[in-house]
Amino acid sequence: MTSEAPADDRHGIPAFVVRVPAGPYRSLNPVTKLVIALSEVILAFAIGSWSGPILVLAVVLGCAAIAGILRPLWVIAAVTLPVVVSILLVNTFLYPGAKDPIITVGPFAPTWTGLAFGVQVTIRLLAASLALAVAYLTTRTDDLLTELERRGLGRRSTFLIGAATETVPRTITRAGEIVDSQRARGLDTEGSWWKRARGVLPLAGPVVFGALTEVEERTMALESRAFSAPGRRTMIRHLPDSGVQRWFRRALIAVLGLIVIGRVLGALRWVP
Amino acid sequence: MASWGPEWKGSRGGGRPEAGRRELPVDWLSRQFSTRVIVLIPIAIAINIVLGATVQQALKLPVYLDSIGTILVGVLAGPIAGLITGVLANLIWGYLLPAPIGTTTIGPFAITAGVIGLLAGIWGQLGLFRPRRQAAGRSIAGAIVAAVLVIGLAFYTYSRAYASATDFQNNTGFDPTVIDQSRVFFLLIMFAFVALISWALVLRRDVGAVYAIGAGLVTGIAAALVSAPIAAVVFGGVTGSGTDLVVAAFRAAGDSLIASTLKQGLLSDPLDKMITSFVVFLIVGNLSTRVVARFPNGDKLVQLDEPAPELPAASSPLPPH
Amino acid sequence: MSLTLTAVGYRYVGTSRPALAGIDLTLAPGEVVGVVGANEAGKSTLCLVAAGLAPATIGGRLDGAVTVDGLPTAQAHPYELAQRCGVLFQNPVTQLSGTAPTVWEEVAFGPRNLALPLTEVVGRVDDALAALAIAELAERDPARLSGGQAQLVALASVLALRPAYLILDEPTSQLDPQGTRLVGEALSRLVAGGGTGVLLTEHKTDLLWGLAGRVVVLDGGRAALSGAAHAVLADDRLAAWGVEPPGRVRLARTAEAAGVALPELAA
Repeated sequence: MTSEAPADDRHGIPAFVVRVPAGPYRSLNPVTKLVIALSEVILAFAIGSWSGPILVLAVVLGCAAIAGILRPLWVIAAVTLPVVVSILLVNTFLYPGAKDPIITVGPFAPTWTGLAFGVQVTIRLLAASLALAVAYLTTRTDDLLTELERRGLGRRSTFLIGAATETVPRTITRAGEIVDSQRARGLDTEGSWWKRARGVLPLAGPVVFGALTEVEERTMALESRAFSAPGRRTMIRHLPDSGVQRWFRRALIAVLGLIVIGRVLGALRWVP
Repeated sequence: MASWGPEWKGSRGGGRPEAGRRELPVDWLSRQFSTRVIVLIPIAIAINIVLGATVQQALKLPVYLDSIGTILVGVLAGPIAGLITGVLANLIWGYLLPAPIGTTTIGPFAITAGVIGLLAGIWGQLGLFRPRRQAAGRSIAGAIVAAVLVIGLAFYTYSRAYASATDFQNNTGFDPTVIDQSRVFFLLIMFAFVALISWALVLRRDVGAVYAIGAGLVTGIAAALVSAPIAAVVFGGVTGSGTDLVVAAFRAAGDSLIASTLKQGLLSDPLDKMITSFVVFLIVGNLSTRVVARFPNGDKLVQLDEPAPELPAASSPLPPH
Repeated sequence: MSLTLTAVGYRYVGTSRPALAGIDLTLAPGEVVGVVGANEAGKSTLCLVAAGLAPATIGGRLDGAVTVDGLPTAQAHPYELAQRCGVLFQNPVTQLSGTAPTVWEEVAFGPRNLALPLTEVVGRVDDALAALAIAELAERDPARLSGGQAQLVALASVLALRPAYLILDEPTSQLDPQGTRLVGEALSRLVAGGGTGVLLTEHKTDLLWGLAGRVVVLDGGRAALSGAAHAVLADDRLAAWGVEPPGRVRLARTAEAAGVALPELAA
């Protein structure tokens, strides 16, 4: 089965707008990558307590290797390190009701049960986070939104998600500037607890007021560009999809459904 | 209450149903919103993330303020807008932002954030965030009743949550032998509640603060109740923040995982949400009528004894949407 | 066929004092009308009312009638108004949608919203970029443009809807001198092309001297003076209304006061 012909220069659309992603795994349709990631997350929780997470983690790392993003993925995994350490420590030492200590040193009695539970939670957490990270690293937000819109997502939702991902870095920079200017005006960032609490409003105030002014201006700008016109917007970009990918997605969702139902009904208890 | 006419609202809704196949449920929802609310939500999400991260780093206070945008949207635009803001903020913060700012542990708490936004919308529609300066006796009486109701709810929750050392769900009353734990924590939160209200009244002489802070307390309790199972099931009780130590302490004392996360939540969430709600209340109170009025909840957020604008003449009805 | 305001008054929501009162104004296709006045005199309000955004998007109470090519703005949808009346505001950043990775797609935002056929969308984008001579910016990221460039992109995305009238609310006030020059030249080119009726609000009266055919002075929400541009801008009462006269007018007055005769400057 061949893919539908993507838009090309015959319509006069410049190449830099067409922007078909290339590369192994990356060139998959964004919806495919999204379905894969979400399935991996669900499966990490649905299948067994060890086998599911380990299997999913292996698949995730495999996909990452194919896409050539192991290094950035490692960076993201490293960010979860503090959480992982906490999980392991808390569960090893404080798992209530565990009776198989590894070693007893004074009041501290880490247990094997606790450690096992901690490792399990860690692997599951890593599997789920890295699955989503792979999707994030191999997919442009704009591509994903384009494909969702082509499949029926309305312009308002598309704009919502697109604007949210764009606005955050910009607001962070501006908030940094506001903190600096407030500090210059005497905002206390080091003083007593009470003083710092009083400093909240001079910080939150300008950020929020500036934001609400921006809301008015942006609303009028959108309306002036016919944002609330009826009907579906004209689609300009078209990312390739294939019959193979379509069937794969359907099959994956079907298998996922079966597994989740099986888990809920308790049919999968034998899975380690 | 004076009913101010359609001139308040500008364009509501906006766009007719999208003609085309398969309209997703999320689109039906967003069709309920004017362009203004659609624009507000991403900006409020950015406020959440910015204030949540910056306030913690710059001011180093033990509160998050990371739901200030969610509550603001709920109060201004209603429950569904608040819900969407909360959910989307957490998903984006957790899964879409690059590593230093994004954290992996915040995504599943999108449910909690949604609940916070939903409740904020309900409080907004009930008019709980309206300024009530120079209040008459009726307002003060109403505030006292509201405060008593909230305190009662908190007492019930805390006595049930902290009474049993194993599983609070099986509790039918509070166990006299461990009543000390619940009493201590309840009094802690009440102290914070009263302190905050007193500070508010001294600062602003605005009885409306009682309603707003009380609403914050209820929201905080609800947030703790919703977060506890998530923290327990998804993360094993450990989310990588300083509160993990508190959870660990409860577990060391013998509590189950869910009970520990619940007890920790009931300590930190109500305080955080009370403060956040108060900040939102101050901000909304400082906004000019002109700005507030354009949002769906606008007429419920303005002090009532201001002179109402004349109802519009028939010559300028709103365009049909 | 014109943009007409008849006995127009406007009051923002929640205010008791009218921002505009008794305004009569007619803008014909191809005409350029300048609006001057002190801050808070009602210039921005006039722009919002003329474009129909007030009351359609921001609420408030409109007295009198505003019609654009026969369509009364009080009954129109914002997207219908957008196709007849384009508006450009001061802040270049907030007028960009923020969701387009390239300038080309940003300019295509409006035509896409109207669900126009693909070839029509492409044609309008190319035309708008060409009209403002910014075709070389087509591949750029809108978030990384200078203020003047961003303002031109915003203008292009408005022009892509092919409005018959263009309303500009102090479009250069937040730009540096280079951006101001960029936008000023683009406007001159646009006006010279003819066809579009332009309502231009400005503090920079020098700009209006070269562009506008008529000028209206607003004071306290009312039209204090209205007439031919050169006559109005040379009027003695401008300072009293909080408007700084154009450089050449000030120069002429200074010269006159000093008793120096200046050669006639080319208008």
